Amino acid sequence: MIKIQDVTKDFKGKVVLDDISMDIKDGELTVLIGPSGCGKTTTLKMINRLLPVSKGEIFIDGKNIEEIDKVELRRNMGYVIQQGGLFPHMTIRQNIEIIEQLENKPKDEIVDNTVRLMKMVDMDPEEFLDRYPTELSGGQQQRIGVIRALANDPEIILFDEPFSALDPLTRNALQDELVELQSKVGKTMVFVTHDMDEAVKIADRICIMKDGHILQFDTPEEILRNPADEFVANFVGVNRIWDSPEFIKVEDFMIKDPVTCVGDLSAKKCITRMRTHHIDTLLVVDEDDKLRGMVGRKALFNAKNPLVAADKIMSPVQYIAHPMDSIVDILKMISETDINNVPVVDDDGRLVGLLTNSNLVSTLSKQFLTEDDTEGTVN
Amino acid sequence: MITLFNYMVDHGAQIWSLTVEHIEMTAIAVGISILIGVPLGILISYVKKMDKPVIGAANVVQAIPSMALLGLGIPLMGIGVLPAIVMVIIYSLLPIIKNTYTGISGIDPQMVEAAHGIGLTKWQVLKKVKLPMALPVIMAGVRISAVTAVGLMTMAAFIGAGGLGYLVFSGIRTVNNYQILAGAIPACILALIVDFLMGLIEKLVTPISLQKNFGVSKEHLKKNRKREKVTLIVAAVLICVLIGNGIVGSMEKQQKTITIGSKDFTEQLILCNLYADVIEKQTDVNVVRKENLGGTQVCYGALKKGDIDMYVDYTGTLYCDLLKHPAKSDMKAVYNQCKSELSDKYNIQLLNQCNFNNTYTLTVSQATAKKYNLNSISDLKNYDSQLKLGCTLEFQNRGDCMPALKSKYNMNFKKVIGIDGSPRFTALQNKEVDVIDAFATDGLLMKYHLKVLKDTDHLFPPYYAVPCIREDTLKKYPELKKAINSLSPYLTDSVMMKLNYQVDEEGKEPADVARTFLQQKGLI
Repeated sequence: MIKIQDVTKDFKGKVVLDDISMDIKDGELTVLIGPSGCGKTTTLKMINRLLPVSKGEIFIDGKNIEEIDKVELRRNMGYVIQQGGLFPHMTIRQNIEIIEQLENKPKDEIVDNTVRLMKMVDMDPEEFLDRYPTELSGGQQQRIGVIRALANDPEIILFDEPFSALDPLTRNALQDELVELQSKVGKTMVFVTHDMDEAVKIADRICIMKDGHILQFDTPEEILRNPADEFVANFVGVNRIWDSPEFIKVEDFMIKDPVTCVGDLSAKKCITRMRTHHIDTLLVVDEDDKLRGMVGRKALFNAKNPLVAADKIMSPVQYIAHPMDSIVDILKMISETDINNVPVVDDDGRLVGLLTNSNLVSTLSKQFLTEDDTEGTVN
Repeated sequence: MITLFNYMVDHGAQIWSLTVEHIEMTAIAVGISILIGVPLGILISYVKKMDKPVIGAANVVQAIPSMALLGLGIPLMGIGVLPAIVMVIIYSLLPIIKNTYTGISGIDPQMVEAAHGIGLTKWQVLKKVKLPMALPVIMAGVRISAVTAVGLMTMAAFIGAGGLGYLVFSGIRTVNNYQILAGAIPACILALIVDFLMGLIEKLVTPISLQKNFGVSKEHLKKNRKREKVTLIVAAVLICVLIGNGIVGSMEKQQKTITIGSKDFTEQLILCNLYADVIEKQTDVNVVRKENLGGTQVCYGALKKGDIDMYVDYTGTLYCDLLKHPAKSDMKAVYNQCKSELSDKYNIQLLNQCNFNNTYTLTVSQATAKKYNLNSISDLKNYDSQLKLGCTLEFQNRGDCMPALKSKYNMNFKKVIGIDGSPRFTALQNKEVDVIDAFATDGLLMKYHLKVLKDTDHLFPPYYAVPCIREDTLKKYPELKKAINSLSPYLTDSVMMKLNYQVDEEGKEPADVARTFLQQKGLI
């Protein structure tokens, strides 16, 4: 675990990091993000001691990094920058193997390792190892940069905006590969970017920074759904969540206090309640708010006796949703069946909300409307 | 053209040995400049505070005229190969330091940070990243230095270090264009070859991936590289053999050896050879001839320093220039004063003076003499405002020359043009000047049939040639004294002028002229 504790950094009196603390968990890909000047790159470079800490401490697995020899620290920590930071005068092989060579590892071990790594990123060792970086495309160079970072088998890999100079297609492909690689190798990765799409796509955890402070350090989902403040909300962007609709949960858009009735309410009173609320379905619950059934308009009109109790004519609930279901699940359910109302029930069977066709429509329409429109129409 | 070719063939052996000397000295100088310049350049790229002072100092040094640098160096290093090499090193440093500094500072800082970031030590970053990437720029600096050094090394002849400059200097002095070209052409070719070889090195050290045609023809580049490597290895082996030879040769020097120096004009060369031959004939001491040293200061400095054991100077020069006495026309008194003073102060012995007085004269063409009816120097004073004087820089500055002319005759020439050596005679021929200074025994006086104006008032002090020798040398080889004194009486004004004439006009070699004369007189 990388533990950053009360770290302050100033350059010639200008504070760029103001007393930040965070724990970066083993095996996770943590993204540091924020507008330029927020201190994200500074934070990264302090982890491998390219920059000294002004105040505070950084620990790796409980050991203060100031007590570890700089070179040893860095050799056990991959470092990837734009274009991979490859050395143009060395072949791909020399670039990948440089640290292993300096560490005097056995020759055949190095060669085997290089071939294995090349295969891991789907590059033909025969074809590429004797080439020079300029003979490779940007994406290929970046892959080499990543496997060079992996070559010495470090526990931690640091990425400093590695993909930002690539074209969008290549960038996307590399992001996918990185996620896949991460699941294979399970290294602790710290990744600096200014691209929120990238962050949401690859991160296990995102740390949003501004002016040397951490605004929010959480999972992508939490950040998208519950931005800590207005700045985060704006930085994340109102519509960002629509790029990851699986993060939109039922509880975010359901009707929170649906109109209910208890089981012994008479049919006549049921009709009155439905009229006053302009609805066509009543949810029947018991005294613990547990959902028992639904009474539709049709069932009430068909009731011969106006005094009959609701639980006598209610129908059982066929489809229910869970508050943590995503909008994708719900849309799927609705398109497959032909229902208008879906009650939302929590793990204990208690009714917590209701989804209707109309609130689905208004939720979905938000992504097409600007903020001003949203204020004007939906409310 | 054919005469030039013949000259070069006739003197092939000499040209070749001078070329080898030239290459040796240049290679050593450039080699040492690299050893100093590259680390210095690296240092100032790390310690940024030092960059301006170091480059500034290198700039200033480069601005000092090379002649001045050589002259200033004599008291410290004497004459010969060492100061010549030091001078070239000093001039070669700037491009090497500058390019090393620029090359290393110019590397993308991101690249350097990446190198640190992946765990290279400072030293490894320098060795594995910075140096290989800066090498092409550094080599470009070395290339400039090396080519400049080849040209600059011609100055080495000024202080007796030899090299191709020897031919150029002698050629200028004796108005022998073939000799000048025999020095200049090999020097040019050498410069071109050095440029070509350095260009190859520059290309070879450029990482293949950073070369211009890379990508288009990688295979072609690789094949070229092999050929270039072979060429360079051959060149490197050749240079090593040359330098090795030189070192072995210098170690084989015999024990019983003295060095005789000479100034850089014909008479001095002849005198040097005359005395050397006589000594070698009459004693078992070997003589190294260091001819063509820059001038009185160079020779005298070298004598005091012990770089040479003997040279021939003139009483007037010793008396006025070196011992700083006001000019005096009593020949005996001047000699005795010089002899005792040099012995007391500097442990330098004056042997018997020769029988010729190579004093300054003023000379005009026969036509001018007729036109103004000029016979003696004092006749000039009526026409001084119409005449242009071409004279050596020495003549202008010496107390007994120009200033004496002014004070004694109140002479003010229409114009005074400083010209050194034999070009004065050419200028007189071309009527660019009307009066020139000349030495009384100058063969060129005979060659151009000039009118020497009589010094009726003893304006110029006596300039009898006199061998100056170090006392410790004389103590070591007492037999030298007899040998040297045996020659001196034979050398009279007319003999000297004739010998000079043979070299200057007939184009003979000073060494041959000297030997023939000695044989005729039965001295060897």
